[in-house]
Amino acid sequence: MNLAEWSVEALAASRARFEMLGRDLVQGPSELANVIGGTHAALMTGMGVRAFTYVVILLLVGIGVEWLFWSYAYASMRAAQAAPIASPREALRPGLRRFFLRLVGLLLFAAAAIGTSAAFSWPRGVQELVIAATLFVVVLRFAWIVIALVLAPGQPRLRLVPLAEGRAGWLAALAMTVVFLFAFGRFAPDLMTRLAGAGHAAGAVRFAAVTLSCLLLAVAAFAFFGRRSRAPRFPRSFVLALLVGAAYLTWLLSPMWGTIAAIGAAVIALQIGLRELVFFFWREQDGEVHDHVLPSIVLSAARFSVVLVGLGIAAIVLEAPLESLAAAESPLVRFSLRLVGVATLWLLTHVIWITIRTAIDQRLARVPAPGKHHGPDPSSRLLTLLPLLRVTSAVLLLVMLVLSSLWALGLEITPVLAGAGVVGLALGFGAQALVRDVIAGIFYLAEDAFRIGEYIESGQNTKGMVERITLRTVALRHHNGPLHFVPYGSLGTVRNTSRDWVVEKFNLPLPVDVDSEKIRKLIKKVGEEMAADPEVGPAMIEPLKGKLYRIDPGVKIFRCKFRTAPGNQFDVRAQAFRRIEAALTAMGVGFADGKQTVLLSAPA
Amino acid sequence: MTLDLRGLRLATGLVLTLFVTGHMANLMLGMHSLAAMEHWRPWLMGPWRSAPGQALLVCSALVHIALGLYSITQRRSLTMSKTDVVQLCLGLVTPPLLLNHAIVMHMAGEVTPKFDATYGQMLAVYWSFSPGYALQQLCVVMAVWIHAAVGLYSWLVLKPVWKRIGGGLILPVLFAIPVLALIGFAEAGKEVVDKLASDPAWRGHITDNLRKIVQVTDPLNALQARILLVYGLLVLAAAAVFGWRMLRERTTVQVAYDEGFSARGRRGLSLLEMSLANDIPHAHVCSARGRCGTCRVRVETGAESLSPKKDSEIQTLARVGAPEARLACQARVLGQGVSVTRLLPAYADASAARAPEEWVAP
Repeated sequence: MNLAEWSVEALAASRARFEMLGRDLVQGPSELANVIGGTHAALMTGMGVRAFTYVVILLLVGIGVEWLFWSYAYASMRAAQAAPIASPREALRPGLRRFFLRLVGLLLFAAAAIGTSAAFSWPRGVQELVIAATLFVVVLRFAWIVIALVLAPGQPRLRLVPLAEGRAGWLAALAMTVVFLFAFGRFAPDLMTRLAGAGHAAGAVRFAAVTLSCLLLAVAAFAFFGRRSRAPRFPRSFVLALLVGAAYLTWLLSPMWGTIAAIGAAVIALQIGLRELVFFFWREQDGEVHDHVLPSIVLSAARFSVVLVGLGIAAIVLEAPLESLAAAESPLVRFSLRLVGVATLWLLTHVIWITIRTAIDQRLARVPAPGKHHGPDPSSRLLTLLPLLRVTSAVLLLVMLVLSSLWALGLEITPVLAGAGVVGLALGFGAQALVRDVIAGIFYLAEDAFRIGEYIESGQNTKGMVERITLRTVALRHHNGPLHFVPYGSLGTVRNTSRDWVVEKFNLPLPVDVDSEKIRKLIKKVGEEMAADPEVGPAMIEPLKGKLYRIDPGVKIFRCKFRTAPGNQFDVRAQAFRRIEAALTAMGVGFADGKQTVLLSAPA
Repeated sequence: MTLDLRGLRLATGLVLTLFVTGHMANLMLGMHSLAAMEHWRPWLMGPWRSAPGQALLVCSALVHIALGLYSITQRRSLTMSKTDVVQLCLGLVTPPLLLNHAIVMHMAGEVTPKFDATYGQMLAVYWSFSPGYALQQLCVVMAVWIHAAVGLYSWLVLKPVWKRIGGGLILPVLFAIPVLALIGFAEAGKEVVDKLASDPAWRGHITDNLRKIVQVTDPLNALQARILLVYGLLVLAAAAVFGWRMLRERTTVQVAYDEGFSARGRRGLSLLEMSLANDIPHAHVCSARGRCGTCRVRVETGAESLSPKKDSEIQTLARVGAPEARLACQARVLGQGVSVTRLLPAYADASAARAPEEWVAP
């Protein structure tokens, strides 16, 4: 069928539709009067009285059951209303609690009323009418529960949308009116057609309800979204009114497509306002949003869900057979379904990726920059590992997303996987050493074997201070200056001399005739003085001590020992020598001088 | 004085509820048969037909209506709980709806000496001759009973006796009464319709009787219209007094609460009305009747700017064991500088009023 034929057919259909509407509007009022007169007459009989009695009983049972529920649930309802709420986000959880409590109450009411209606023998057609009326009430009450949850007129603390107090009440009233009109336009015409056979009256009522609600919505678009002070933006009110108008015109042409258009318009309208709605929950005290990451995730998820829900409702309205849709032959349908699948995958990956990135970025932000004077700091390995983790997960997610998208689109990915496997194998053999280095490095870093600024010796006889840690190598600065680049794979046993503490020992040769006990006490005293010294004292873990170690001809050797924090032993030792020397000089004892006393006997 | 009015409203309400319950019980017998209804009528309805019973009933009804209207004039703002709204609206619509029935039952007997107001007669009118009245009466049943149920429930739930009489059972019983009565009404209606069709003699008797009352329809209608006019004027007057009281006071005052809340409102509002109008969570189980004591507050500053305590408030505070506190629903704000601390969490329920010393915030 070509476009011209299609257009002619569509025009003919819409002309028929307009003629129908015209007839409805001309004949509707008189039919409506008949229907009302007939209903009134039917009510004013014994049958009518009986039906009305039953309705009152239903209402009483429904009200009683719901009241019973509230007599137990009201305290928790009050608690949810009174929960301390400082930000919109905190209003969400008590809001949901209120919503569910009210929903349970409503469901109990509906179940009790509709269930009781089964107990009576109704006049013909009346039960249908009563159940429709009950459903009408339930729809209205449900709408009110949702509106009260979101707009919370009169309770700005509990409100879930950015709206000023005066406007919330008006918007709630308007929304309720529109819901009422829509619900009425849905239930009443059906009943009129089925019970009274008044098709024209039904058409007229439907037309009146839809026209009135669209008018109200258009007015609301200008009244509530008209005054935007941000100048360069396209006025939202105009867009919203345009959407309403477009949906209404479509409805005039074809009720079914009108409903679809209304759903589409609602989805678009929500998409326009969604950013503001979502970011509202992350507003700080100053009314601004500082942390954009989580709101962005929620926003994209919300955008996606709105579209999905819209599609779902449209499918229900079109009465599309959902179960056979999946097996449909039409390539367009299949392709759209697959696109939905790909979009889901994309959203999922997006959420996972932002979650990982946020976690890593936040951890990285908390790592202090590696300073040169603060000694070896543990942050360096995080600074190495976290970016590595970030890149790895990005690549992994991307590959998985691409592969699963291809799969979801119906492309065969087994050859790709097999090819990737072969290439991977080849690369793996080639890059064996590289991979070994990287993986060994991950473990060195994870086990915290060394940090920047520490002095280490590797199994390869390289030693030096760790200057830089990269993915594959560690750079060691030898104390004489050369810089070794050691790949982790050949690092071997690491001897880390900068951890926790070091013990330093040195010998003190003194003349053989000194009093050992006196010397021991002298060294101990020096040690105590050093521990109290503001310069070296803090670095010392165990004070200097000395004892007689060996006696050689003419020499007594004292072995001294102390324990310090790593890296301080040289300073402390120099200081110890200086102090001991001074103390010995004060005592009048010199170091063993190595002079040999040679006794010469005269030749006999 | 206020205590007397409160007690009087309750007492008259109880009398009316008792009468309605008896009437309902009589209707329930319709589930058995019309004869059973007639048989029990002298026992269930008879006492109210006697001179003292009738006097008590009429006086109670008039006093109850008058007190209801008076309570409207005493209102200071539109803040009230949902149950209050329901009760007020149902209470206002009841007299006009019920007037017709009351006039027929009480006046017809006097205007037409031999008018026989049996159940059979009335049911025949309702189910066959003018069903419009029946629809009106069905609405009345619902309005009256829910009005009474709200009143009874909110009175009893605060009493320590609530637990002893099985509080959970009261609501089902309260709602079973009208439901059973309506079922009785429907069953008896069926019987009457059948009897009208199958028993011409009875039918003749009914129509004769009906003719008597049709003769006096005009004076009865005129009377009814006059009463309705008076009632409407009274309601309007009450509403006008309320509106005038609301508009008269223009100065606004500010009240500081704990947790950093603060409220603004017209001078003369009670503390509780301030809280409710400003979306501040505040417990109020008995909705400002001064009975439950859950709205009590500790006055931190500005006690002199509040209206003085009345006897009823002192009694309630003594009962809940907080004599130095104030009831937010009774203390009206007359000046600036008031700051208060709410003593109970906003979700305090009736158990907090029944047993104040045992109740601890969960």
